[in-house]
Amino acid sequence: MRGHGFLIGNYVRGNSIIHRTPLWLKFLVVAACGAASFLIEDWTVSLLAFAVMSGLFLLSGAGYRRLGRAIWMVAPILLIIGLFQWWQLGGPTAARIVLNVLVCVVAASVLTATTPVQGLLDGVVGIAKPFRRFGADPERFALTIAVMLRSIPFIAGAFSDVRDSARARGLERNPRALVLPVFITTVAYARQTGDALAARGLGEPDDPASGRWMYS
Amino acid sequence: MSSINFSSVSVRVAVDGSDAPKTLLRDVSLELSERRIGVIGANGSGKSTLLRLLNGLVEPSEGTVVVHGDSTTAAVRRVRANVGFVFTDPLSQLVMPTGREDVELSLRRSVRNSKERACRAESVLERFGLLRLADQSIYELSGGERQLLALAAVLAVDPKVLVLDEPSTLLDLRNRELLRRTIAGLDQQVVMSTHDLDLAMDMDRVLVVEAGRIVFDGSPAEGVSFYRALCAATLDAPSLGQAPQ
Repeated sequence: MRGHGFLIGNYVRGNSIIHRTPLWLKFLVVAACGAASFLIEDWTVSLLAFAVMSGLFLLSGAGYRRLGRAIWMVAPILLIIGLFQWWQLGGPTAARIVLNVLVCVVAASVLTATTPVQGLLDGVVGIAKPFRRFGADPERFALTIAVMLRSIPFIAGAFSDVRDSARARGLERNPRALVLPVFITTVAYARQTGDALAARGLGEPDDPASGRWMYS
Repeated sequence: MSSINFSSVSVRVAVDGSDAPKTLLRDVSLELSERRIGVIGANGSGKSTLLRLLNGLVEPSEGTVVVHGDSTTAAVRRVRANVGFVFTDPLSQLVMPTGREDVELSLRRSVRNSKERACRAESVLERFGLLRLADQSIYELSGGERQLLALAAVLAVDPKVLVLDEPSTLLDLRNRELLRRTIAGLDQQVVMSTHDLDLAMDMDRVLVVEAGRIVFDGSPAEGVSFYRALCAATLDAPSLGQAPQ
């Protein structure tokens, strides 16, 4: 599946200031960008935030191409959202909403491009530890993130393959011929992934009675 | 004592639109103690079901499967720690973006210290000759490299038994040979289903599965001959797709 070649946040080795920034601060920036998208009301502020996040991405050494690909991945959906909002609420609102989403995408890309996935998972486990008292399993939080990072490019790739198959059969304008196979492929993939994780004993509590992991 | 025991095992699944369940495996009793065991048979004969029972991915409807003293239903977690499973398509098995990260993911349960985990992952990758590919995206690897990586990720936790479900199906001749040599050099007990009869000949014991039953259990040479004869007989019989002459 050619569309699978792109993995969200493929870690880029480096020693930039962004790489050396503590993980908690990067998490905080991503969370702040998410929260700010609800608060910002002026599209020029959104544009400025987008420029700042793009600058941080480039400062990390991850490069223009990766930045372009991260944006390109969400471009079709943003185009639809943008056009709809422009029709409903006008140009400035549409620009603000689209730019706010882009700020979040680039902020997440900065985090994942400058943090090794294992570091990210350890960070998620650390953040989730307080929830253990409520019966939550921090390792499962981490595994969920790992599976999510893996699944998004898979689905994008499945869509690309199905679109090619539909084109080959002259069905490119038939939405059913596009959506249904992607849906079926995705469900099959989810089942395979579940089996693979179960077979490797991942995501299972060490102590089934308590549902918690035991740390050795 | 044999390391793997099947005792009167049957597996049935419900079928949509039918009251009668479909039988995938029928009354299988086996003791498997050889180091290399091959399972051959036609598509849909029940090979994968037989293999999945070993890891607790499928539960028996009747009977019991015991691996190294642990029941696959009562002690599934211990069984999975002892039984590594390699799937046909490594892409459905590799969860992380790169090989290094996937091997580290395997080690997360047993090695909590991240530096120690990284060291262990590096030595596993080196052992399988995958260190130079450790940081490449799994999508940039060849089919053989992915399959070796899937194998390395499973073997990182040092299971006692390795189960491989048609591991050479997606591989070219060179990568198939590479996989064959790698498997031959493993210390673990290996149970492998395959359509590759050359690979089956490397085994110590071969089981032929047909319509959910073990129809042959013996030496690889005899097993492969039996399977060839069985396939020939099936081809000669009138099939459902053919109109009677």
